Amino acid sequence: MSQPDSDRSSSDSSRRILSALADGDATDSEAARAFQAWRDDPDARASWHAYQLIGDVLRSDDLAAEPAADAAFLVALRARLADEPVVLAPQPRVEDVPIPLPAAANASGAAIRSRGRWQGPVAMAAGFLAVVGVLNVAGPFKSDAGTNLASTAASGPLMASTTAVNNAVVPTSLQTPAQTPAQTQAAADQLAPYLAAHRQSGKSGPFQMPGSDIRNVSLVQPAR
Amino acid sequence: MTMLNPDPDAALVERVKQGDVRAFEMLVVKYQRRIERLIGRMVRDVDLVPDIAQETFIRAYRALPQFRAESAFYTWLYRIAVNTAKKALVDMKRDPVMTHTALQGADDDDETYRGGLEPTDGETPEALLASKEIAETVNAAIAALSEDLRQAITLREIEGLSYEEISDVMNCPIGTVRSRIFRAREAIAERLRPLLDTRDGNRW
Repeated sequence: MSQPDSDRSSSDSSRRILSALADGDATDSEAARAFQAWRDDPDARASWHAYQLIGDVLRSDDLAAEPAADAAFLVALRARLADEPVVLAPQPRVEDVPIPLPAAANASGAAIRSRGRWQGPVAMAAGFLAVVGVLNVAGPFKSDAGTNLASTAASGPLMASTTAVNNAVVPTSLQTPAQTPAQTQAAADQLAPYLAAHRQSGKSGPFQMPGSDIRNVSLVQPAR
Repeated sequence: MTMLNPDPDAALVERVKQGDVRAFEMLVVKYQRRIERLIGRMVRDVDLVPDIAQETFIRAYRALPQFRAESAFYTWLYRIAVNTAKKALVDMKRDPVMTHTALQGADDDDETYRGGLEPTDGETPEALLASKEIAETVNAAIAALSEDLRQAITLREIEGLSYEEISDVMNCPIGTVRSRIFRAREAIAERLRPLLDTRDGNRW
């Protein structure tokens, strides 16, 4: 058998690659060139169709179709495919010959890849901040310094002293350790001046915005 | 040369998965006739065959990200075609006056959209004559090939052997097999090209 023809024109080379691709025998770089040829070269598209038609007719004469019908079918399907979202795979593409993709495909792909890059870190950061916030709020209940505040929470809202939630009124339903009536009374006495000031500020608080819908909350110390 | 892949369409499928819709067109051109013949055997109304085939390829395109290559692409596509045809048959029983629009799904609201509605002449005498002429031309071209070329393309297209298997059968290098198959295709296509010039300005 003679060797392949020495006449290796560009078109001839493209058709050779298309022939190999039709049989699943093209290398990655050859496949990339074939895809490029399909996009850019009408003769390459015609050759691809001819090769496939030849294969079909060899298998069965029933598969001999008028070329115009095949072309019309593809034109109609192409119109429908234009309305479909672009299919994207999770793995990155590595190839020797870059193939320009439609602008819509590039935009969609970039958006998805970009979203994939920041979603993970942001989710981790949000989770971390949530944990820190919970520890900051719950921390005073466990520390000695927060004992008085914790006892106060049993009868009303809790004023947190952390920088993260400084001066914020935080309603809570957390269970607090049981304390003796004397301890509770001592804590209430200690906080009485503060609560009085708070009631006063609640009537015209520094956070009240003119015309805003923010509702002020005043604390009412239960009668003992 | 890379190792032969069990599925000859693997490169095309991967390319489509990477976002290249044009690669999907290559698969359509490859399998359209076989899919239409399959559907034609299930649905007696030949006018519906192209539309069901269109729907089959659209569904395949949508589902391609889930294709895990556990079977050959054509086997997978075959199943989609069968299911699409069955659904069309059920719809026809429910509503015998099934419209083309129903086949195209609920997304196509554009009244001017025709999609697969372009008149096809798959059963006209002219089309039948053209198909017959193509078949005769291909068979005549095959008969005119040298023994090496005819054997190579026959083993590939009819017997479905891989290049490696053909090289064993023909006792020649894989590169020679590749070259022989290409030259056989080109020799047949050369005779076929006068018949393949599409009408109505449709260009490949």
